[in-house]
Order: sequence, then structure tokens, then C-alpha cells
Amino acid sequence: MKHSFFPATSSSKKSYYFTGGIKPPANKKRSLRSVIMDTPIPEFLYLSLKQYSGPDAIPVVCVGDKVLKGQLLANAEGELGVPIHASTSGTIREITNRIIPDEFGHEAGSICIEADGQDTWITRQPITDFKSLGPELLREKIQLAGICGLGGAGFPTGKKFSSNKPIDWLIINGAECEPYITCDQALIRENPETIVSGARILQRICRALHCVIVIEQDKQDAIDALGTAIHDCEIELISVPAKYPSGSERQLIQMLTNQEVPSGKLPQDIGVLTANAGTASAVHNAVINNEPLISRITTVCGDALKTPKNFRALIGTPVSFLLELCGIDYTSLSRLIVGGSLRGFTLKNLDAPIINTTNCLIAGSLREFPPAPAELACIRCGSCTDACPAGLMPQLLYDQIRSNESAKAKQYGLNDCIECGACAYVCPSHIPLVQYYRAAKSDLAAQKLRQRLSAKWQQRFEVRQTRIRLNEKRKKGSRRRSLSRPEGMDVTDTSLENFSRENAKQQIADAVARVKARKNRTPTNTQVKTKNPGEGKP
Amino acid sequence: MITSTTSSLIASCSPQQQAKITTGQIMLWVIAACLPAIFLSTYFFGIGVMLNIVLASVFALSFEAVALKLRNKNLRTNLLDNSALVTAVLLGIAIPPGSEWWLILSGVFFAVVIAKHAFGGLGQNLFNPAMCGYAMLLLAFPLDMTSWHIPVAQQADEPFSPLSLASMQTSIQFLLPAFATDSVSNTLNLADGLSMATPLIEQKMAGKSAIFAIFNSAGSWLDLLRRESGAGWELVNIGFMVGGLFLIYKKIISWHIPLSIIGSIVLLSLLFYSENSVNTYGTTYLHLFGSATMIGAFFIATDPVSAATTPIGKLLYGVIIGCCIYSIRVWGSYLDSIAFAVLFGNFCTPLIDHYCAPTIYGHARKRIWKPAN
Repeated sequence: MKHSFFPATSSSKKSYYFTGGIKPPANKKRSLRSVIMDTPIPEFLYLSLKQYSGPDAIPVVCVGDKVLKGQLLANAEGELGVPIHASTSGTIREITNRIIPDEFGHEAGSICIEADGQDTWITRQPITDFKSLGPELLREKIQLAGICGLGGAGFPTGKKFSSNKPIDWLIINGAECEPYITCDQALIRENPETIVSGARILQRICRALHCVIVIEQDKQDAIDALGTAIHDCEIELISVPAKYPSGSERQLIQMLTNQEVPSGKLPQDIGVLTANAGTASAVHNAVINNEPLISRITTVCGDALKTPKNFRALIGTPVSFLLELCGIDYTSLSRLIVGGSLRGFTLKNLDAPIINTTNCLIAGSLREFPPAPAELACIRCGSCTDACPAGLMPQLLYDQIRSNESAKAKQYGLNDCIECGACAYVCPSHIPLVQYYRAAKSDLAAQKLRQRLSAKWQQRFEVRQTRIRLNEKRKKGSRRRSLSRPEGMDVTDTSLENFSRENAKQQIADAVARVKARKNRTPTNTQVKTKNPGEGKP
Repeated sequence: MITSTTSSLIASCSPQQQAKITTGQIMLWVIAACLPAIFLSTYFFGIGVMLNIVLASVFALSFEAVALKLRNKNLRTNLLDNSALVTAVLLGIAIPPGSEWWLILSGVFFAVVIAKHAFGGLGQNLFNPAMCGYAMLLLAFPLDMTSWHIPVAQQADEPFSPLSLASMQTSIQFLLPAFATDSVSNTLNLADGLSMATPLIEQKMAGKSAIFAIFNSAGSWLDLLRRESGAGWELVNIGFMVGGLFLIYKKIISWHIPLSIIGSIVLLSLLFYSENSVNTYGTTYLHLFGSATMIGAFFIATDPVSAATTPIGKLLYGVIIGCCIYSIRVWGSYLDSIAFAVLFGNFCTPLIDHYCAPTIYGHARKRIWKPAN
């Protein structure tokens, strides 16, 4: 059934390996029991203008406007922005600041749609064969549809695929290594053909030589489904060991290509592009069905829910709406996590809406996620070094950060930390290492900013000092009636060079002469009106 | 509108989930892995072994509590990391049975208060606390530290039974000489009376394996358990090895350090072995099982705080310690050398850690050799 052109296939014995990593309990079974469920349309949808760290989109609708499903609501701002589309038909009720799902409880501009329940689409122009469109046209389509990385980072896909660099590998990432998250697995299981089609479109855009789809070995149902959906040898299916964080972009590249992305560079610099499986499916929808990104698969799970499942949730659906669909028990809910249990952040406000990057919601009970035990002393056991996929020595960084040596920590690779949380997971002394690293990183960033600012002020101060010095020299020079240029003087500074008492006297004399000449020309004509006082000047 | 803001929700930094193992549990596993050897040792050498450990533990916990109090640390959470207990157990094993209480007290004080807390507490100590305490005792009280006081039979024809009631009493009197009866205090004053040299001296002189001897003389398996057979010390070492392998199996310690220590000792002892000089260089078997190599390799050198942390670093650290153990044992003037070898390894740890750091993802491999600034 499945043909493979390349030697490395899921059936071959080649082992895929990256250093470090952990094997936490997957906790994926409960949410995979049922099929993906289309959510009913909530009464109100809140579409945040900020879908990820990029600039906010700019609304093009007004309060009171009637909008159709898929209609453009806000334009992308700049290259890194994503446009926002209405996820259902209805009326714009308000455009205000509202809570968004991020770990700081920030607010951002949001468009509130009151759904009319009709769910009427705008006119779409589906196509059957994407090959009729050129790569650039396809990329534009993706960009206009607002597709961005659905794996969690949310970087605009159109922008990512606009690189001119030659691409060897296009990796469709369905590894989904983090505990609890099952949205990609469910999607691959149920709609593998959309992912394959999306992968082909992306391959056409970036002209990649190889295209592979990666799944972890423990997701046999997804592997089988994809195996039957791939009919030719252009796309290859690879299963990698189930080890966290195999789904992390850099680790995945290391496993598949035996190459490391150099520090501070992007994957495309070594000829690799990655896209999440969900993103590939969204690309298919955008190009073939002409549907913008208005929904995504979100896993809703956790012990506080009766029936955890995967939803095809409209962007903008309030979190509490989804939780209630799963039969949430508010009394046992102790921690709401957005994302997986290792990289996810906690959310305190259940009014926050689903955004493009919300791949998972975990409504955890106290038993499932007990509060962190007291932090004990580091015993340098080295478990964190063994677990770190980035090859860092977390205990060393921790030591340096604790003694306020962030700069030294940077030397030891603090900025190469991907914050996967493997170190903090294995730490027997329960040291919140990721928290320390984040603090130190923002410390370093602030330090850098301060340095830049102080360098700027230093420069301006020096310029001013030079100017003052030059002026004084000139004054002295003019007193001595010396015409020689003082040393160190800025040659380009002509305005200063021309300024001297002689010149000024000359200019005054010239002006007096001009006035006299004008008076002589029109001695009695008082009717001449000048609109602009400067107009009469030569 | 939905108004379901729940202020009772926990807010925390990722990761939200943690592995179940704790530092306190790790330490308890280490102690548990010592138990087979401790029981064997008690069986062969009397209750004094246990008394040492119990007394050391009591002292260690008290010192730990006082030190934590002085350093304004939370008593409950920090005592429960059980690190003082591990130090006490290892030191208790290392101090000869039948030693007096003040020897244990001063050793534990030096280990817990000076070697650990004065350096900044658990995790900050550069040197293995138990071995610091042991080395200090060995330097300060060489005679007490090299003679074992073991209760023996009153009459020559009586079987040797260190676990009999009378022997236990004698052991307690060894520990607390203030309550000693005349006969016991006499033996204490007589260096060569009832006290015996440490098993190691005997082994060093004998140069032969007692277990092999039993097998070669067609004795039964049960002969191993006869105290007169002299196989006790070897069995204790095997006990430590089994406990250590269990720790590796439980992933409490990694295999790197034990393997490289034992490997380098085996290599060196094979290299210098010759029929004629067995009495000076010893056999490989003796180096492994007739000495304290097993407890050193599996329990002492693997103390995470003072050991190297990266896999390559651990191997190097083990080789350094293994070479030191062999060298001091064969060419040095000390009987056994675990303590000094481990302390020397501890000296090297920061350097090893610096040069054996793993390559950071996305950086050129030559970064390892970047000099310290």
C-alpha cells in the first residue's frame, strides 16, 4: 500500500534519537475515546485582535455591522500580523479590551460577535486542484486566510514560507509529544487526507525536496490512518520514539536530519521548514475550500471533567463554554492549564476565548495537579543534565542565576534553553527551574535594553561635547581671524562652518540691501497683498 | 455574559507536572540499599555495627537540626531531605565497631556541621561530608580508627557468637566505657587483647580469599555463615555490591561512577599482579571484595553533591578515584584509601564539570574547551 522512495521509513530500523528528554505519563487516552466534536455556536464569540506575540490586527468592521461567517474582521498589521475572520455569522456587538488566554492575564482588543445562529458563510470559491495555482499565489492565499502555526507558537505560516532559501526538508510535525494534548492525533486519525493535501501545498510553496510527516510511535491509530492516506512516494511517514520533547522543532530536526539548528539561527537557514499537522490541515482548508482560519481542534481534558474530548472549536469561543460542554465540576477544578502539562500556563479567568494557538485545555483537579512541594536544596544529582534536550547543565545555570550571575549563565547557554520543562519535571528537589530561567532571561533582556539605551545616550552626549568644543574653538579661531579649520571638526557640518560673525554681517547687509531695492521698486503700491509673509523673499 | 472568574484557581509556572521522586526518597533508598550489608556486618561482627549507625544517626539529626535552626531554615522540610541520615549511616559503617561514643560524636560533628553546613548546607558542600568526618578521625585518632573492638567468646572452646546477650552487653560497654565492667575496660586498655585489627589488615596480610578457601576445601555453603571462616568481610562487600546494583536498577545512581572506579581498580590490579608479589600488590579479587571498594564505589563516591554531574565527567571522576584507591592502598601508608581517594576526586569535580560539560544544542563542538573567563 505505502510506497517509500527514501530509505528512512517508519518500517525501517533506523533509530531516531536526540539527547536528553523525558518520558512522562501521556494521559491521552481519555480525550481520544470519542471523535472530534463540532461545538455548538455560543451566543457570543470574542475574537481577540492579538492571536500571538505579533502585532494586533486592525479592525475593519464597526459595532452594529452584520457579518457573515468567514468575513474579514481585522486586517493584518505588518508582515508578522495575522488577519482575523468572523467565525460565525452575526452582529458585531462591541470592540473593547478583553482578557486573552495568556499566562499574565493580559487584555487585548477583542471583537465581540453576537451569533445569529444561522452560521451563514460568505461566498467561497473552492478549487479542486491546487496545482493550478503558482507557489506565490498559494502563499498569498494562506496569508490572507490568517493561517498561523497551530502547534502553539502561532507564527504566521505565510510569513514562515516566504523565505527564499533553498529548502531540503519540509517536516509536518504530528509528533505531539506533550502529555494530555491529543488534538493533532485526533485530527490525523479522522482527517488524514487534509493533512497530506496541506503538506503537498506547503511543499509546492517552499519547493522542498523531501516532505515528511512525523508521528510518535505510540500513536498507532494515527500512523495507520496516515499510511492509508499517503498514496504516492512524495510524502514519507516517519515514526519517532515517544519521548518528550520530540515534537519540539529543533529536536525534531536533529532527529530527522542529524543536523542542529545553529544557535540564534532559524531552521530555514539549514534548509528545513516545519509546520504543525493542524496547520497543514488548515492550509488545505484555506486553499482548497477557501475557508479562512476560523476554527481549530482543541483538546479539553482533565480530571475535573466528566467527558474529556476534542472539539472543533470556533476561534473566540469562551473557555468556560467548552468546559461546560464536557461537564465540568467547578468544585474539583483547582488548576486550568492552557497547553500541555509541561509547557502549558495556568489561566485564572475562564471568560478568556479560544485563540489560534489554544491547542489544549486541562481542567485539573487537586489530586491530579497537586500544588508544587516546597523547594529544597539542589543536590546536583544531574538528572536535569540528563533530561535537557538542549545539552545544557540546568543545575549550573540555577547556581549562577541564584548568585545573580545572569551574564555567566548566558555564557553557559541560558538563551539556548527552550523552556521545555524537562529539567524541572525530573528535579527531585522540586526546584522551579524554568521559572528561574525565565526570570534570568528577562533580566538579561532588560540589561541589554539598558545597555542599548545608555550607549545611545552616551553617543548623544559625546556628539554634544564635540559640538561644544568645536564651537568654542571656532569662537577662538574667529577672534584670531584664523580661517584654518580647527582639527577634529566635523567636515559635513556645513551649517556650523558657515556660521561666523563675518558671514552674519554680510547676510544682514544683504538683507538690508534687498529691502531697500524692494522699496525702490514699489514705492507707493500699497495694494499688493502677500498671502505668505515669506513669499516675497527671494 | 459569562462571569466565571475563579480566583481559587492555582496560578503556577510551567511545568505543571512533576515526576514523583523526591530528594528525601532518594536518600531513603540509599539507606535501604545499605541494609543488606549492614545486617551481614552485624551478623559477623556483632551489634556494635548497628550501635555505631544508630548513635551516629541520632547525633547527625541533632546537629542537623541545630545547624538548620542557626541558619534560619525550615526545620521540617530540610530535615526530611534525609541527607544527614545518609551521612550518619555511611560514617557509622566506616567507623570501626566497638569505638567509643565520643569518636562517633566528633566524626559526625565534623561531617554535618563543618563539612556540610559551614559550606552552605546541602548541595553547597564541596566534599563528601561522611568522608570528611572519616578522614578527620583517621588523622586525629589513628589508633582508635584502625582497631576493631569485637566481643569474643569468654572461653576458648565456646563458639564465637557476637549476637549473644553477653556480646551485646559488651558491645554497649565498648561504646560507653563509663558503664564498662572491669574485664571489658581491661581489654580496652590492652591494644591487642580482645580487640582485633580491622578485617582489612587481616586481608592485606592473608592475601587470599576466604570464600575461595572454603570452596576449595570442599566445605558446604553453610560454612560461609560460620563466623570463624573469615568470609564475613567478603560477604559484607558482596552485600554492598548487591545494594549498589539495586540503586542503579532504581536509577537512584548512575552506573558511570561505580563502573569506572571498579574498572580502573581491576585494570591496575591486573597490571601489577604477579605471583611473587601478591602480598604487596594483592589480587584483583581482594582489591574488590577484601577491602572497602564496594561501599566506596557504590555508596560514597556516588554522593551526587560532591561528584561530577555529566556522564563523561562521572567516568573521569571514577577513574581518578579508582586510581587513587589503588595507589594509596598499594604504595601509600594507609590501610584503606576510600576516604582520601574520594576527597581527592571531590577536589577535581569543579574542573571535571567545567571541561566535560555537554555540547549545547546548536553550538560548535569546540565550545567544551573554551577556557573559563
